[in-house]
Amino acid sequence: MTTIRANPTANTAPSCDLSAATCAHCDLPVPRGLIDPAQDRQFCCDGCRTVYAIVHDHNLDRYYPLRRQLEKSKAKAAPSASSYEEFDDPAFLDRYTTDHPDSTRTATLLLEGVHCAACVWLIEKLPRLTRGVLRADLDMRASTLTLRYDPQVARLSEAARTLASLGYRPHPPRGVLRDQLRAAESRTQLIRLAVAGAIAGNTMLLALALYAGMLEGISEPMRHTLRFYSAALGLLALAWPGRVFFASAIAAVRTRTPHLDIPVALALFVGGIWGISNTLRGTGEIYFDSLTALVFLLLVGRFLQHRQQRKAADALELLFSLTPTSVRLVDEHGTVTTRPIEAARAGDTAEVLPGQTVPADGVVTSGESKLDNALLTGESTPSHAREGDTVHAGATNLTGTIRVRIQATGEHTRVAQLMKLVEQASSAKPAVVQFADRIAARFVVAVASLATLTAIVWAFIDPGVALEHATALLVITCPCALGLATPLVFTSTLARLARRSVLVKGGAALERLANARSAYLDKTGTLTTGSLRVADWTGPVEFKPLVAAAEAGATHPIALALQTITTLSPNQTIADIRQHDGLGLTADVEGSHLTIGSYELMTRRAIQLPDELLAWADEHATHGATPIFVALGDTARAAAAITGDLRPDAATLVRDLTALGLDVAMLTGDRPDTACAVAARVGLDPRHVHAGASPEDKLSRVVSTPHALMLGDGVNDAAALAAADVGIAVGGGAEASLQAADLYITDDSLAAVPLAIRASRAALGRIRLCLIVSLAYNSVAATLAILGFVHPLLAAVLMPASSLTVLALATARPGWAKESTPCP
Amino acid sequence: MSVIWLMIPIALAMAALAVWAFVRAVRTGQLDDLDTPAIRAVLDDDEPTPIPESLRE
Repeated sequence: MTTIRANPTANTAPSCDLSAATCAHCDLPVPRGLIDPAQDRQFCCDGCRTVYAIVHDHNLDRYYPLRRQLEKSKAKAAPSASSYEEFDDPAFLDRYTTDHPDSTRTATLLLEGVHCAACVWLIEKLPRLTRGVLRADLDMRASTLTLRYDPQVARLSEAARTLASLGYRPHPPRGVLRDQLRAAESRTQLIRLAVAGAIAGNTMLLALALYAGMLEGISEPMRHTLRFYSAALGLLALAWPGRVFFASAIAAVRTRTPHLDIPVALALFVGGIWGISNTLRGTGEIYFDSLTALVFLLLVGRFLQHRQQRKAADALELLFSLTPTSVRLVDEHGTVTTRPIEAARAGDTAEVLPGQTVPADGVVTSGESKLDNALLTGESTPSHAREGDTVHAGATNLTGTIRVRIQATGEHTRVAQLMKLVEQASSAKPAVVQFADRIAARFVVAVASLATLTAIVWAFIDPGVALEHATALLVITCPCALGLATPLVFTSTLARLARRSVLVKGGAALERLANARSAYLDKTGTLTTGSLRVADWTGPVEFKPLVAAAEAGATHPIALALQTITTLSPNQTIADIRQHDGLGLTADVEGSHLTIGSYELMTRRAIQLPDELLAWADEHATHGATPIFVALGDTARAAAAITGDLRPDAATLVRDLTALGLDVAMLTGDRPDTACAVAARVGLDPRHVHAGASPEDKLSRVVSTPHALMLGDGVNDAAALAAADVGIAVGGGAEASLQAADLYITDDSLAAVPLAIRASRAALGRIRLCLIVSLAYNSVAATLAILGFVHPLLAAVLMPASSLTVLALATARPGWAKESTPCP
Repeated sequence: MSVIWLMIPIALAMAALAVWAFVRAVRTGQLDDLDTPAIRAVLDDDEPTPIPESLRE
């Protein structure tokens, strides 16, 4: 967040130009009077000098590059030109704000681009920046801002504009109700966890006294009292927080789906009944210490899993909020008014200007345009829409103004339905969890039959202890570790990766990453830096101003490069500029056709390419540049060679991915000779280069490859990223990228990609290890219980021992985490 | 040792009190956002001290 720091780009290296000296610690300018020419490091105050000395003396100098990396790496959201008028509409205020008795209002807004502590600092300063805003509270994880403001002094649109000008575009939270329900569910879980924890701890203390009494002797009334207290606490744990296991087990039995909760509920039920009856009879073993600990540990696992799924859901929520908030409604007199999307009804007519997003599903009544449906279909080639055609919310109107008769809005639009599907898919259980559930099915059958067998066999040997041994078997083999391992490993891995600039959508994505067998890399923006530059130019210089002016409105990286070709303005007037997506543009220059674009565009428009221009282009293409031709009339007159600089770690990435056993290939829309030149520089076999691929080609190749990993730019390769088994986005803004990709790299380095792969493989290995350990423990414990060797004290030690072993295994720092340092 | 008859109920009552306090904290939303308040406490609220007039150019 460069907005906060006065001088973020200043370096800490000794500066020769002392007039521009910055503090070696805080990067702020050093006042003239404090500059000491004899020193090579300058400080703005004694405080900074002391801190620097401490950091330096402890060999912690790495702090400074890390801090700078943290500051510059985050993608900034672009300020928007929207006036946010719709935020003041009564329909909007009614839905997204609440009134307070003191005539103030509270509004909840979702913000784009919130990443760090500095954002919290800046956004919560909003009361100082906008008059009438009384309080601003940011929830950083959910990116939600709660605003308290005085409607008499400030309008909500003013606050929204201020936020947008800071780079945090505000959006109304679309799923308000659902969010409240989720928050309530989260609170209930936390309360259950607390109650279960407190009961488990206290029961453990009582049990300790009982075990001590067993060894040292205890008075009979005291023993009974302690057992009664244990039973009371144990029953409370089973009836309050433990109730969820019974409910879930009953539901699982009804739907006949195997679930880990069935053996858990069985153990809790039999253990509880047996414990109560033994407490009342005053003899025999009670298992309440083990049972309460079981309830607590299982709830911990469940809580972690829920939090992880909620994180994925939050990211989607934000995406849905990115669809348009306002609509230009046309009334029967033809007057156009901007209203919030909530005010639109089916049957209304809406106007959509070029560049705007279609706000609702409907039919075009007048006008003609091209629409980009990438959000809906992943198809990046625009489709043509004219009168009578159906258009969908979320499509971007590219060329002309159209009027649309609305058929469906909000939750009923196709995009909303699609979001619902994606959300369902992302909350789906990872296969390894399903595997644990499958184990559970066999587990419950095995344990139940073993317990019955034990009871029958012991009934012949010693009828008095038959039920005792059967209960011991059920309690001691309860699959606690089995339920804990998976969520714990996933959660700790995701958290460790997040600290190393990798955001992962969820456990399922991590599992697919571990199973990836081949990797497709995009060229532009992935292997090369996103920004391009004009490396060479051939032809008359007077074309340069024309090219720069014609490209001025476009946003494609090549257009951005061409805009900087000259600072001069053209003498002729340019009109009727038309973009041809992925090819170039055509325009009208005082009666003659100007065509700027790729070789393909030239051949399509039947433009003659002189031989020397073609030779020049081929020469540059073999060196990795993309040639762009400029034609006036029907002959190409000039050409520019566009290159992107190779990312410094691109070659390392290819080497690391190959070392991890992946088949690495390049997938690019660029021409073959350009692609091969880049491939040679990163050490990729030219046979693995798929050049000239259209977005459709990319998509079909990625879909047809099993276990394919696609690494690309979050914006231009969104469709391929979404279609691949695992999509990894580098750059392009977190919100848009996470929509399509499973992983998002938040900093500029590619080193995080092989790290994430190793982390995911390590995580799956850990889970398997935990499952093996816990099953091995259960077999040993079951054998002991069947043979009647399970002393109550042994059970009390063995049960937590198995859980703790799994806990330690699941959370121990993995090898990959030791090698790389997290961001501060 | 007879004091233990009194101590156990007191200990359990204290535990119940702690649980009640926690439940209240959860229900009033104090644990809804665990990340931001931690950061907010560390952020400096003061404006940076301006450079004294005498040291300026």
